[in-house]
Amino acid sequence: MDFPSSLRPTLFMTGPLGLSNVPDMSFMCSWRDALTLPESLPENFKNEALHLATGLLWEPETPGPLPLLPPGPDPWDPGVTAQDLLFRGAFPFRRKPQAVLDVTEQLSRFLWDHGDIAFAPLGKLMLENFKLEGARSRSKKKTVVSVKSLLQDLGGHQPWGCPWAFLSYRQRRFSIVGGPVLGKSVASLLGELLHEELAMRWEQLLLDDAFTGGALAWVPGRTPQVGQLVYPAGGALDTLCFQEVSLPPGGDPQALGDPGHIQLRGPVRQVVTRTVQGESLLAVRSDYHCALWKVSKQGRAAPLQVLQVGKGATGISLSPHLPGELAVCSRSGAVCLWTPQDGLQQVYKDPETLVFCDPSPWRWADFTAHPRVLTVGDRTGVKIIDTQGPPGCGLLLFRGGAEASCRKGERVLLTQYLGECGPEPQLPTLHLICTQFSLYLVDERLPLVPMLKWDHDLPSAPLWARLLPPPCPGCPRPLLLGGQGGHLQLLHLAGEGASAPRLAGPPQSLPSSSDSLSAFPLLEPKSQWRLQERLKAPTIGLAATIPSSASEPVLSLFQLSAAGDVFHQHLHLQADPGPHSRAPTASWTPQATACCSRWLKALLDVPPTPPVWAAPTFSHRRLLGCMEQRKVEQKEPEGLRAAMAAGRLLQQKDVGSPPSAGPPPAPEPGPEDELSARLEAAWEGRVAAWWERQQGRSLGPGRQPKRRKRRTQLSSTFSSLSGRLDLSDATSPPHSPDRASPEARPRPPGTPPSQESTQELWAQGVPSERQQTLRDYMARLPLRGDAPRGVCSPLSGTSSIRATRSRPQTLQDGTAELPPRRNTRRGAAVSSSQTSSVWATPSRQHLPRDGVLRCPRSAHLCRSTPMLPRTLSSPSPSVCRYGTGIPKMNTSHFPDGKGGEERGKPKRQDATRLAVGVEAPLISVPFSTVL
Amino acid sequence: MSDFSEELIRSKTEDDQEESCVFSGTGMSFPWLQKHIGTVATGGKKEKDFAQTTNACLSFIQEALLKHQWQQAAEFMHSYFQILEDSDSHKRQAAPEIIWKLGSEILFYHPKSNMETFNTFADRMKNIGVMNYLKISLQHALYLLHHGMLEDANRNLSHAETWRYGEKSSSQEVLINLIQAYKGLLQYYTWSKKKMELSTLDEDDYAYNTASQNMLNHSWKTSVNLCALIQTPGVWDPFVKSYVEMLEFYGDQDGAREVLTNYAYDEKFPSNPNAHIYLYNFLKREKAPREKLISVLKILYQIVPSHKLMLEFHRLLRKSEKEDHHKLGLEVLFGVLDFAGCTKNITAWKYLAKYLRQTLMGNHLAWVQEEWNSRKNWWPSFHFSSFWAKSDWKEDKALACEKALVAGILLGKGCRYFRFISKQDDEVLRKKIKRIKKSVKKHSIVNPGL
Repeated sequence: MDFPSSLRPTLFMTGPLGLSNVPDMSFMCSWRDALTLPESLPENFKNEALHLATGLLWEPETPGPLPLLPPGPDPWDPGVTAQDLLFRGAFPFRRKPQAVLDVTEQLSRFLWDHGDIAFAPLGKLMLENFKLEGARSRSKKKTVVSVKSLLQDLGGHQPWGCPWAFLSYRQRRFSIVGGPVLGKSVASLLGELLHEELAMRWEQLLLDDAFTGGALAWVPGRTPQVGQLVYPAGGALDTLCFQEVSLPPGGDPQALGDPGHIQLRGPVRQVVTRTVQGESLLAVRSDYHCALWKVSKQGRAAPLQVLQVGKGATGISLSPHLPGELAVCSRSGAVCLWTPQDGLQQVYKDPETLVFCDPSPWRWADFTAHPRVLTVGDRTGVKIIDTQGPPGCGLLLFRGGAEASCRKGERVLLTQYLGECGPEPQLPTLHLICTQFSLYLVDERLPLVPMLKWDHDLPSAPLWARLLPPPCPGCPRPLLLGGQGGHLQLLHLAGEGASAPRLAGPPQSLPSSSDSLSAFPLLEPKSQWRLQERLKAPTIGLAATIPSSASEPVLSLFQLSAAGDVFHQHLHLQADPGPHSRAPTASWTPQATACCSRWLKALLDVPPTPPVWAAPTFSHRRLLGCMEQRKVEQKEPEGLRAAMAAGRLLQQKDVGSPPSAGPPPAPEPGPEDELSARLEAAWEGRVAAWWERQQGRSLGPGRQPKRRKRRTQLSSTFSSLSGRLDLSDATSPPHSPDRASPEARPRPPGTPPSQESTQELWAQGVPSERQQTLRDYMARLPLRGDAPRGVCSPLSGTSSIRATRSRPQTLQDGTAELPPRRNTRRGAAVSSSQTSSVWATPSRQHLPRDGVLRCPRSAHLCRSTPMLPRTLSSPSPSVCRYGTGIPKMNTSHFPDGKGGEERGKPKRQDATRLAVGVEAPLISVPFSTVL
Repeated sequence: MSDFSEELIRSKTEDDQEESCVFSGTGMSFPWLQKHIGTVATGGKKEKDFAQTTNACLSFIQEALLKHQWQQAAEFMHSYFQILEDSDSHKRQAAPEIIWKLGSEILFYHPKSNMETFNTFADRMKNIGVMNYLKISLQHALYLLHHGMLEDANRNLSHAETWRYGEKSSSQEVLINLIQAYKGLLQYYTWSKKKMELSTLDEDDYAYNTASQNMLNHSWKTSVNLCALIQTPGVWDPFVKSYVEMLEFYGDQDGAREVLTNYAYDEKFPSNPNAHIYLYNFLKREKAPREKLISVLKILYQIVPSHKLMLEFHRLLRKSEKEDHHKLGLEVLFGVLDFAGCTKNITAWKYLAKYLRQTLMGNHLAWVQEEWNSRKNWWPSFHFSSFWAKSDWKEDKALACEKALVAGILLGKGCRYFRFISKQDDEVLRKKIKRIKKSVKKHSIVNPGL
């Protein structure tokens, strides 16, 4: 092979990225590349100068690409955007406002919307036992309390999104006392996870490298005018489609018939195709699997083998030299050669990055001019490794550093071998390396020094490149560069053999699918927005072909969007634009607009996406349970239930008891004693009821222990949580559980199950060093004195008045346990008093005692929240993130994490395992193939 | 003056920007980050109106350039100059570079642009800000050179050469060296032109003496100019080539050898195959002993085993008396044919076929087996598949015959490639194929009896 006899002068400087001391050669312009130094004599190059002045231009036929296929039946949603993730605040001393990940907002929304998920795990942890600090054990009953009921409150009845919704006293106290703990654990545990998730999503938004290489491929057919497009379709991109397309000379490409489908069990990330020695192969990379098909001359795909990659595959490439050989790389840093016959051979493994430390697990591998030498790339550089040589050796082909005058923060996004096996291989030693700023062409014979560097300035990540054959003999070869945002750039590569590669003429940008908006009829805003979003969908694949038989060179370009749409455009080569020609502007043809209208009609027929996320309104599980019970036990508010079911206004008759509309609101709850309670009741005109209650209480001693126990448990909960005691529980001394302390002291006499109503008595159960603290604490509390037991209960209606005062008390006690069929806004006004419900159903702890009728999320709170899609609805995002649910099948396994040992192993083992896969590919492959 | 001081503090202010740039925590910067952040409602200071306008203008220019709309780009550029008045000093300083980059590109391709326009533009741009003088001068000179204006280019470079600003930083030094080297290259062009003239003159002529005197002067100046740069690590092919040519012309063989040896073997330099090729060619011209040539090519073989000089290397090794050279000769041939770009190299196949026979006749089966062992699992499908048999036969029968012989020797006569070719019935090649069959029978390393 020839080597360029004279290379362009380049300074060679070693060092890190963004070394400021180097004169930045990239400052040189694109035309600098067109400048060739005269080889020896000045006479020779004048002709060339003239030749270069005539730029090449591929002229698009229409101002934008056209849809090739009707839109798929699955709706599409753009997903998370920057607005959802970012908070933009300004610090006073910064020159620029800074955007930060909006964890606070996300977290608070999450706590509002998924309170049960946020807090229930914590509660579950607490459920087991609660032990008062320092209290030694008397009996189980006294000292160990269950928070079950509290959890029921929490789990079943969240005040969804409404800060003013009714809170049970228990909940209120729980939140006050447990606040610091709850807040801390939620913030630290969940917040950390949330931040991690947000950061991950944000990084994904900035750069989604899953589709590196592109998920669209062109398989040439028998004639140059026919071929197949292979691409994923369906909402999850898990259907591999084979669409035959004809490229009539001078006309638009046409889809021939319906595409063939292969249903896979994972999203397709990369589709690679190559024809080597007349054999067309198709390789597909999913997140955790890679698969290989053979495409027959008739265009039928026959599965060959499937490979499972435990750590996740990041790249797959097909050998241009040997049919059926692939290079697969995984997140673990391993690179394997893979052939269906011989199985896997690990050729490289290094979890570290090549040049400097970079956290990205992205790896890439491709072939070189030597069939046994591979390139291995990561974000920091590219290395050439000899698969037959000793492991670990290799030569850096590209180094993110001063050698290529890389900028600070520059990272490799794509590497690609540009040579291909053909009768006359052109550029057989060149490698394309793309970073977010520049494009480099590196010759593997001269490592580290790029032969060409061009700042592409694409506004999105360049993740795919296609080098096409020269459109006409002697013409430079078009190199297509595609960005994730649909941006396309076309460069002309000249120079083969004895001359160094260079850009012939200035690069050119091609229209992207969002340029096609003008071809569509104007729509009403909502549909227009939908269309716009659809056209703006990120690109995930790029394919291009130059049908060679056409008299005039034509380039057909196909783009696959994340929404599953395939757009195509057609370009003509304008070899010599002439000195005065301007780039002509294409216009829409009637056919094109008709095509767009048809497509649009189909698009609008697709039902719009259901919102990715909606705030849950009620947690139904508790309510449903309680409804079942109610049917048995309660004869009560049929009317109310009917009203709820019908969704109409609640009327007096429905409830069955007159509202207490007349009297002015009850006074602020004072010290809780029998007298004031009685007065209060009298004030409200319900003194008789009060009396009855008092009577009932004293008459029902059987219920007392249970109630007490419950209270005890609850109170000790909080004392242990917060280190202070609630006065209302002063009546029961804290005890340690029997089982926890079998050697329980028989002391003090004042702690039988019966009520102790003096401070001194309760103090007996408290260790002496804590009594003073408690006394001090209680001295500050408004609740003082010996309150009648029932009344001072935290569950009593009177004591909860403060919390509930703001809502109109329209209902009588014990009447408002409503079926949750419908939540009218009226429901907010309907509420039961706990007192009665507690008394009425003291044993039914699982019953909702309060807030059965919750304030449904009022409209203003139901604003579209930053939606973190469903993954966030679980407290452990790490589980959901990878929960793809692909079952492990009997396939060959990528030797992740096995280190170097795989290398030494005989390959036969792999081969036999793989052989199973070959024999019954339809059964054993996780991609169940249904053609 | 204010410009100057601002540029000096620029390196400090630049850090500010990076904060928004390096945002992801991975240290990677995203050019499209600003676009994302822009979509979020601003809580803080907004970009100034002027900044927004200039940004828009810049993107218009870039868009027009990428669409080859030179006229439009020029119009936008006209407005963009206003950025030089930006009150944001940081932006004001970055502006000349952007203007030069885009402006020169527009003028390079604009159909109505001519050299004068370009020259005027370049001269103006050189003097806006101090940091760009050298770079712009250099590029301007290249432009002139490209358009054949050697004198103007030379003048430009001479101006730039003497330019100094402040402390001589290392980057300045490299640029000045580069400028001097280009100047030297220009002098070389003049020199080689004179050499051409000289060759037409009679040696006894009076004019010959003056001309050769002239050339001497040139050479001296050029060597001064080129020397400095080629000591700096880099790829300096055109400079080294011309420098060596001049040194050789004046009989300074040692100087030339030193330059080339340094260029090829200095570890600070990238491993440039051309450096070795130049050295080899020089030694060949010098009629250096074969051992010397072999040692140079041995290194080239390690860097670029696919180079076309490898066939020459093989010839040298074949002629050598040493046994290990003969072995290396075989290795080199196998090495060349490993590469995708060399699969159709009929000379290489011919050499291999011949040398294989020779080696096997010399009872060196072990050498062949050693080479073959690492290739036997992929050469058959890489070179000797039935696909290649068909296509080679169709395209190049001579190549197919050579390959068939090699295939037969290495794989035995059962191999598909050999079988296909030997079955072909061709009038012209019948004899040859017969000979091949015979050779294969005699030499094949695959013993069918086993």
